[in-house]
Amino acid sequence: MTNGNTGAVAGRRVAGAEPRTVYHSPPAVLAGLASLATTVDHKRIGILYGVTAFAFFLLGGLEALLIRTQLLRPHLGVVSAETYNALFTMHGTTMVFLAIMPLNAAFFNYVIPLMIGARDVAFPRLNALSYWIFLAGGLFLNASFLFGTPPDAGWFGYANLTTRPFSPGPAIDYWMLSLQILGASSIIAAVNFIATILNMRAPGMTLMRMPLFVWMALVVQFLIVLAFPAVTVGLIFLLFDRFFGTHFYDVSAGGDLHLWQHLFWIFGHPEVYILILPAFGIVSEVLPTFSRKPLFGAQVMIYSGILIGFFGFGVWSHHMFTVGMGPIADSAFAIATMIIAIPTGVKIFNWLATMWGGRLRPSVAFHYAAGLVALFTIGGLSGVMHASPPVDLQQHDSYFVVAHMHYVLIGGSLFGIFAGLYYWWPKMTGRMLDERLGRLQFWLVAVGFNVAFFPQHFLGALGMPRRIYTYSRGSGWELWNFVSTLGAYVLGLGVLVFVVVAIRSLRTAGARASGDPWDGRTLEWRTSSPPPAHDFDAIPPVYGRDTFWREKYGDARGQKPAPRVETPDPHGIHLPSPSGWPLVIALGLAVAAFGAIYHLALVVIGAGLTVIGAFAFALEHHRNPAHVEQVGNLGVDHRKLAMWTFLGSECFLFGTLIATYLAYKGRSVVGPQPHEILNIPLTTLSTFDLLMSSLLMVLALAAVQRGDRRQARLWLAGTALFGAIFLAFQAYEFTAFVHEGLTLQTNLFGSTFFVLTGFHGGHVTIGVLWLLALLVLDLRGRLGVQDATKVEVAGLYWHFVDVVWIVIFTVVYLIP
Amino acid sequence: MTAHPAHASTGTYLKVAVILSVITALEFAVIYIRRLTPILIPLLLTLSAGKFALVVMFFMHLRYDTKPLTFLFVSSLVLAIGVAVAVATLPGEFLIFTR
Repeated sequence: MTNGNTGAVAGRRVAGAEPRTVYHSPPAVLAGLASLATTVDHKRIGILYGVTAFAFFLLGGLEALLIRTQLLRPHLGVVSAETYNALFTMHGTTMVFLAIMPLNAAFFNYVIPLMIGARDVAFPRLNALSYWIFLAGGLFLNASFLFGTPPDAGWFGYANLTTRPFSPGPAIDYWMLSLQILGASSIIAAVNFIATILNMRAPGMTLMRMPLFVWMALVVQFLIVLAFPAVTVGLIFLLFDRFFGTHFYDVSAGGDLHLWQHLFWIFGHPEVYILILPAFGIVSEVLPTFSRKPLFGAQVMIYSGILIGFFGFGVWSHHMFTVGMGPIADSAFAIATMIIAIPTGVKIFNWLATMWGGRLRPSVAFHYAAGLVALFTIGGLSGVMHASPPVDLQQHDSYFVVAHMHYVLIGGSLFGIFAGLYYWWPKMTGRMLDERLGRLQFWLVAVGFNVAFFPQHFLGALGMPRRIYTYSRGSGWELWNFVSTLGAYVLGLGVLVFVVVAIRSLRTAGARASGDPWDGRTLEWRTSSPPPAHDFDAIPPVYGRDTFWREKYGDARGQKPAPRVETPDPHGIHLPSPSGWPLVIALGLAVAAFGAIYHLALVVIGAGLTVIGAFAFALEHHRNPAHVEQVGNLGVDHRKLAMWTFLGSECFLFGTLIATYLAYKGRSVVGPQPHEILNIPLTTLSTFDLLMSSLLMVLALAAVQRGDRRQARLWLAGTALFGAIFLAFQAYEFTAFVHEGLTLQTNLFGSTFFVLTGFHGGHVTIGVLWLLALLVLDLRGRLGVQDATKVEVAGLYWHFVDVVWIVIFTVVYLIP
Repeated sequence: MTAHPAHASTGTYLKVAVILSVITALEFAVIYIRRLTPILIPLLLTLSAGKFALVVMFFMHLRYDTKPLTFLFVSSLVLAIGVAVAVATLPGEFLIFTR
């Protein structure tokens, strides 16, 4: 469908060159909720993320106020001990996974394409899928309240507290399944944004010219892609322990509880940077704008962010100094933790240097950005204290840690988010926020936060443990708990005032915002507020770092660049059509998750919905011209880039599964042992079969690329057949093992072997289904030369499954 | 449409498949040769790494594709191996250090 122009663009348009926006079937004109449910526009999805996450943030805040009310005075009975456990578990889980992360995702969605001069993200429908899966996960987790069984084992759910004997009800099932759903949403979104940022930048926007916010977002996406698989595997083990009686966290069967702690914190520490780096990016945009100076040492800031992300993977065990890893391991993680403070310190000093000598405009956004610099520094310094194992032994599980964590996540992340809200609100809504009320709101939050959390350092030093639901009179903790609770209420009031400020702005009280209300430096300010559906009438030119500022005022010497002519796309602007299938897939996942707890029939219905939705999703825009040209800045197709990124994530997933098999090798307390049961000659044959399937796959790709349909069909069918033969070998092997007495429940070897090889078999099954779908397309004459990338991407997945088996064959079967 | 990047020829694919088959046969054979027992684990890991590299370089075309893809995959793989080694050595001796 051709929609003509949207007609309401007030941005910089080339005179006489009206853009022609082209949508593709089905018709894009949908109204109201249907429009929202099927939107694939990054800006609307960003707003959906923002509104949903803010609602969850209010819920998490309410839980926090109940916690603080219970601790106001000794021996209060506002809530029971059991309810208190649920409150601190849900508060932590909600704030981390349902509030801070998705509030950052709201900015990623809304701002990144605008900042890099793109019309949307690389995969708009996948973007919608990420949002709906996030919503499904969040609602599913909170549905536990309605069923009277909220999770209650802490936000990091240490095993074996979470195993069936110690948590017999469905509470932990809600927690575990919702985190899996939310993890899937995060990884899908991260792969999408990596492809978008690396491949969809406007011409001239080199990596080093990208705004700091985009850089920090890029680092965060890599952290998500690489860190989430570890906790995914940890949760898979927990799921199998709880539902199928495996022994991953069963000490009596030889299991090691440290396994969960390692898997959780391998994810959990990078997660801290996932939460804080976007705030660093926001501050790095806000401070230069309101100081009217370029960011001091921008390149060093970029490298610092990369280093923080890299070192973030080498410090996880500083959360575990108390478990007894030994002095050398403790020292190694302590040193790594102290090193990570260096690039963080660089950022603090560079922000100060950016403000130094600038013509400061103390907007509310600036207040929050400067507030972050001060308050995050306090949280960072107490973090360096924890890097020392002897000090950490004293502070571990005390209120000192609670204070530290909140100085990082409120003083850091939340202040950054508020800075971003005040900064980009005019762009998102076309209306300004009330600066006077905003300043009041800032001071309520800033004062309330410090009064609430600074005293918690004293409480920790006085020995108050975290997670106790009450305390005795005469403990010495009464005064600071009282003060802390008062501060929490002031903080809560500050958040409510923001709601008022936001509603007033939307209900016409807010002045209309121009396209560039702050005299901004980056490309998002170059289009109207709010931007049109297609973001820019023509892809904007990029003149250097802070390109829009250079365009307006020139470089440091005031020399303006020669203006480049913006030529609208002669074929019109291609925008993808809306899709309802992401919502169907997410709904299927939620139904299946409920089924896992309550009834197998629901699992079948949910899985059916998901599979049908996924197939319809994959096939609905098969020949959409908007999807044809997908080669971007890296000279590679978005889909290939996304698949390689995903395979990097899969390296972590299988690496963790294989590592667990090795960690538990020889620890089974009963037989059979691997050497008594593994059939190496048979597995050598199945390995050969899988290797040859890879040969057939490359032959199929070559045939599609040269347009030889007969050969393409033959080799695709052959690959799928060889895959099916491999699965038949695996089914035979599993059946034989069960007959010989080895099941998932028999011993640690059975648990690790079946889960590892079973997951690999699951990947092969998905590969076979994918190949069959391609075969169907080919039989319908819809797999031409122009579709070769689809076959190549399927091939990459297939070959990866093959190389994973190469490792499994050696590690599990051949090494004695 | 952009042109497809140059990939290996069918002859190269067949040669790689033959080498993969030979290495798999070797892997199967060496576990029965007692004299190789002292070096069996490094030998098997080397053979496995060789197969892994061949599939990734030729069948997955990383040898012919743009360098950033290689960087993307190899850096993820190296980091994953590092973390996996730490987890695998968890019982008894964490990393290479005694408790």
